[in-house]
Amino acid sequence: MVMGLINANPVIHEKKERRVRQAPESTDENAVEPIDQLEIFDILLYDFPEHPYSLEQLNVVTEDSVELNDESNHVRVTFTPTVEHCSMATVIGLCIRVKLIRSLPPRYKVDIRVAPGSHSTEAAVNKQLNDKERVAAALENPNLLDMVEECLSPTFD
Amino acid sequence: MASVPPGEWVPHVEAYVDVSRPAAQHSASVDALATLVNKDKLTLFDLVAKMDMYLTTTDHILRSRGILLLGELLSRISDKWLDVNTITTLSDFFISRLSDWPAIRGALVGCLALLHRKQGGGCIVIADVKRLVESFLQNVQVQSLAAADRKLCFQILSCILDRYPEVIKRMDGEQLYWICEAIDEEKDPECLKLSFHVVEVVMKLFPDPSGLAAQFASEFFEILSKYFPVYFTHGVADDLNATRDDLSKALMHAFCSTPYFEPFAIPLLLDKLSSSLPLAKVESLKYLDNCIRFYGADRMVKHASALWFKLKEVIFSLSSEQLLLTSGSPKDAEKNKNQMVSEALNCLKTAIVFIDSSDKDLFINLILFDGDIENKIHSILSAERSILSSVEDLAQVNALGSVISILAQSSTYSCTRVFQEHFTHLVDALGTSTDYESRQLNTCNGSSSTSVNYGALYLSVQMLSSCREVALASYADCSSIKLAKVSWWLILEKKLDRLIHLLGSLLTIASQSMHSVLRGEYVSCAVKGLLTLATFPEQCSPLPANAYEDILYMLTSVITSKFENIDLWRLSLKALTSIGSSIVEFNASQKEVIYCRTVVDNVVSLVESYDGSMPLSLRLEASYEVGTAGLNYMLRVARSLEGAVVTNISKANGRMEHVTQLFECYSSRVLPWLFTSGGINELALSFAMRLLDEIKYLTMLDRISSQGFLDSLMMGMKLLVGVCTEEQQTLIVQKAYSMVSSILPLPLKSTHHHLAVGDFVPSHSVQETSLVGMLSSVIIGLRPQTPVPDMLVMINLFTVFLLNGKLPAAYVLASIFNKYLHNTEFSHENQLDKILDDILERCFSTVLANSYSKDKSSGNILSKIDILSGLAWIGKGLLMRGDEKVKDISMFLLKCVCSDEALASEESYGNDSSDTSVAKSAAGAFHIMMSDSEVCLNKKFHARIKPLYKQRFFLILTPIFLSKIKEATSMTTKLALYRAFGHIISNAPVPAVVSEAHQILLVIVDSLAKLSVSLQDKDLVYSLLLVLSGMLMDEKGKECILDNIHITISVLTQLVSYPHMMVVRETALQCLVAFSTFPHSKVFPMRRKVLQAAIKALDDRKRAVRQEAVRCRQTWCANFAGRPF
Repeated sequence: MVMGLINANPVIHEKKERRVRQAPESTDENAVEPIDQLEIFDILLYDFPEHPYSLEQLNVVTEDSVELNDESNHVRVTFTPTVEHCSMATVIGLCIRVKLIRSLPPRYKVDIRVAPGSHSTEAAVNKQLNDKERVAAALENPNLLDMVEECLSPTFD
Repeated sequence: MASVPPGEWVPHVEAYVDVSRPAAQHSASVDALATLVNKDKLTLFDLVAKMDMYLTTTDHILRSRGILLLGELLSRISDKWLDVNTITTLSDFFISRLSDWPAIRGALVGCLALLHRKQGGGCIVIADVKRLVESFLQNVQVQSLAAADRKLCFQILSCILDRYPEVIKRMDGEQLYWICEAIDEEKDPECLKLSFHVVEVVMKLFPDPSGLAAQFASEFFEILSKYFPVYFTHGVADDLNATRDDLSKALMHAFCSTPYFEPFAIPLLLDKLSSSLPLAKVESLKYLDNCIRFYGADRMVKHASALWFKLKEVIFSLSSEQLLLTSGSPKDAEKNKNQMVSEALNCLKTAIVFIDSSDKDLFINLILFDGDIENKIHSILSAERSILSSVEDLAQVNALGSVISILAQSSTYSCTRVFQEHFTHLVDALGTSTDYESRQLNTCNGSSSTSVNYGALYLSVQMLSSCREVALASYADCSSIKLAKVSWWLILEKKLDRLIHLLGSLLTIASQSMHSVLRGEYVSCAVKGLLTLATFPEQCSPLPANAYEDILYMLTSVITSKFENIDLWRLSLKALTSIGSSIVEFNASQKEVIYCRTVVDNVVSLVESYDGSMPLSLRLEASYEVGTAGLNYMLRVARSLEGAVVTNISKANGRMEHVTQLFECYSSRVLPWLFTSGGINELALSFAMRLLDEIKYLTMLDRISSQGFLDSLMMGMKLLVGVCTEEQQTLIVQKAYSMVSSILPLPLKSTHHHLAVGDFVPSHSVQETSLVGMLSSVIIGLRPQTPVPDMLVMINLFTVFLLNGKLPAAYVLASIFNKYLHNTEFSHENQLDKILDDILERCFSTVLANSYSKDKSSGNILSKIDILSGLAWIGKGLLMRGDEKVKDISMFLLKCVCSDEALASEESYGNDSSDTSVAKSAAGAFHIMMSDSEVCLNKKFHARIKPLYKQRFFLILTPIFLSKIKEATSMTTKLALYRAFGHIISNAPVPAVVSEAHQILLVIVDSLAKLSVSLQDKDLVYSLLLVLSGMLMDEKGKECILDNIHITISVLTQLVSYPHMMVVRETALQCLVAFSTFPHSKVFPMRRKVLQAAIKALDDRKRAVRQEAVRCRQTWCANFAGRPF
């Protein structure tokens, strides 16, 4: 699959001062550390398929764009493609979904959305990303799966 | 020497000449030939005779290979002696070949090899060098060659310049022009580095003003200037033999090589200072700094004013916005700016020092009377701008301060001029101390918010520190400074009183009214000012003794009363320490007296006082820090700590809880410091003696042990005795022994009479136990050479206490047997052996007797457990010295571990009462034997430690344990055995364990599975898991695990949900990740199990575990499942 640069010269955003996680003060073995926004955001920081920058630097995903409700087992990630007609939007969404499915306990329902007004075919992309049949079918496609794997692998090097 | 027939070496020549062979073979054949020549098995004459055709053929390729072979060969026999004829012939040959351009490479290599030859081994004659240079200049067009050949050319040039400069010296202008041509337009970094060097050396060869260098300076500089600033982004990884720094340095040396470059270089560099590229600015500053040093004052004077204006621009960063655009993030820009400013200040300093023209006022006029500088100082002095409002202001004031202090530091004269001009005004602008007090009142009332003029404060403190520098530099003739009619000294002296009180009042005012970020600046400035004043060298200090004392008093009162303001407190403490060390440095006796009286006495009294308002840790920190200033002070601190410990113990209202902290400070900070500075002497001895004196009284002992401080006291005693010399230890141990024997009814030297177990038991009071504890800690700390009085009686005494389950007695017995067994210096060497047997016998029988008698009072069980660990300690002592008897002990312990099996068959109930706990503590005993201890038997207490003792013990016990585990039938026995063996495995060195992996892997895995059931074994489970992960990292261990992969992975997946310890779950997941490197076919069947475990762990309650689970799942998904999830 040939990937030309759709947006060759994106706006690079300053990496925000990260909220540093304090070392847990209680060494109690039974104390529960619930899954939170920052943890999910950390999971999502893998390299972007189109550019050698991270999703954070491109402002595609920010910490605030992750919404989490631990009790009702629901996560929603809203991402913003770099340009309105970005054809990679579905691939980015797919990567985010695969990444979250792999990294979160199965009890969660994952919801992925394009930020309102940030993409020309917003409704279509949203529908495609949240249709589990279509996601499963996409991942049956070896080319697509390879691409997703390629996007996700660097985190573990 | 027998020469080798041509048939053997000619193939090498042929191989080299054949271009189609691989490069490795080429170099191998040259090496082979070089070895033959070096060993005299082949003469060069034979070689050349055979190679005749290759050297002279008209086929360019063959000829060039042939000549290259000869050249390469020559460079590899550089250490072999060659006669004059050979050398001349070779030189003739290579010089003539320089004109043969298709085969130039070989000629260049050969010439270089000839030039490189050492003096003793036959080297090229000077006439030939001359001919070589001529032919070289005539025939070689450097810039038309390939990069590798150009590099050779530059190497030849620089070699001739370095070794035969006289040849070059005779060159004429045309030839120098050739060099210009050769380096012009060069682009390869390695060649550039060499060519810069060539220019540097050539220019240095002609220092004469009418010489060639002066004529050619402009040509050369034109070539050089193209490369400035060096912009070169290749990193180390690019496999180039040059970095940006190398190139930049080489170019800088070339720039500085001759003063004739001055008319071209300085304007260029000054021009580049206005560049918007940070790199260009920093480079120009560095180059300028060097050029000023080399070009000399005469040439630089005319640039002085231009230089100052450019530097001023950089230092006060008048064009900062411009830079922000070119560099990345604001943080980088900040860093760049700081670097630039510091380089600029360096450059200014160099300029002031090196450009010493006849006009002494040159820089003073330039800087002091510069319009900008005057404006800045004026605005600081004016009342409206006195309050520091922002960080930018702060940077400007800092820059101004640095410039002024650099100027003032340069000489006594300029210091005086600067002081004349500004000091008085600045101090006046600060106001008077009474002003502050009234302002202080005002701010308290909230009516006004006037503040101190920070700019004036900072500048005057900077001036103070620069006149201190001047004073230090002119240390020898201070009298002239004092006698001069006009000098900084007099100006300072006039304002001194006022300044000191101003600074002092700054320390005392509560500065809440100021902006919090800037408050720190005020305080640190004031402290710095006081510190500077107090550290003037004594001879030329403007400070009278009473003022000095005032300063010390101010700082000390901060220490004693202002500990709530921790920043100020730390700053003052640091200042006091530096003042103290400066006294030691200058050997100022008069000041030392004052310092001791005002500072040391007061700070030390903090430790001794009972005042509870200030935390003890701060008091200890203060006295330790002050002590570090000098040996005498530290001795004083040590003595006061000693006093504090003793009073806290002896006084009825003493605070025992402080003793631990005091001892901690004494032994972990003060003693090591004294050790390194060699002042320990009698200190530890007298302290130990005093402690012994104190505990003479039984009431005292009662109090100590009832409050639970016996342990810290014993630890302190051990440490004290440990650092003493043998003679001192003898005194201590004699005193302790006589004290104990006067209190306890010890039998006289009746060596063979055993004290009965019951002898002391009825009256086994708390005091006696503590007394014996103290005696034991004295003996534990002894060196092996120190004689012990009445050893046998003492051993007897300790044995009784051991049999009553007192652990300190076990420690001391372990130490005694560790140090003195078989020691021929003591007469009782044989007896000691027997006594040991006897003690062991008695211990064994006590444990066994209790174990099988049916009356199980709880006290018995407890003391039995203590005896078991006592045995373990003795065993550890023996093990560390490598004694055979340790086997007896370990076999007995092993028997105890298995003991409940016997019990289970006899009794049907109570499995988990006494004997399982005996078994458990016997298993724990192995932990004692294998682990390191702080309590006794370590380096600090002079134990004998045989190398690799743990490894040996592990290897001896492994087969025994393996067979016992096999035999064991009941689950409890097996568990106990696993525990004991687990302790041994986890404490043995990992390489030793891994080498036995094939035997013990299954035991480890099974132990992990069985021990993970109960909460109590969690630490053991963790250490065993670490051993397993160590095996996973080792090749041999991996092989072994591969054979048992099924069971290993099953157990690991169970441990992923181990509830009692987070690190166990985390490590288990890490181990599973490590399996991904195993062969696919072996691991594949396990994937379902592992993935299930990992998915479960994704919902773990700890974040660290979840992260590992994600990693594990990803690795296994990607490698073995081939599915997205």
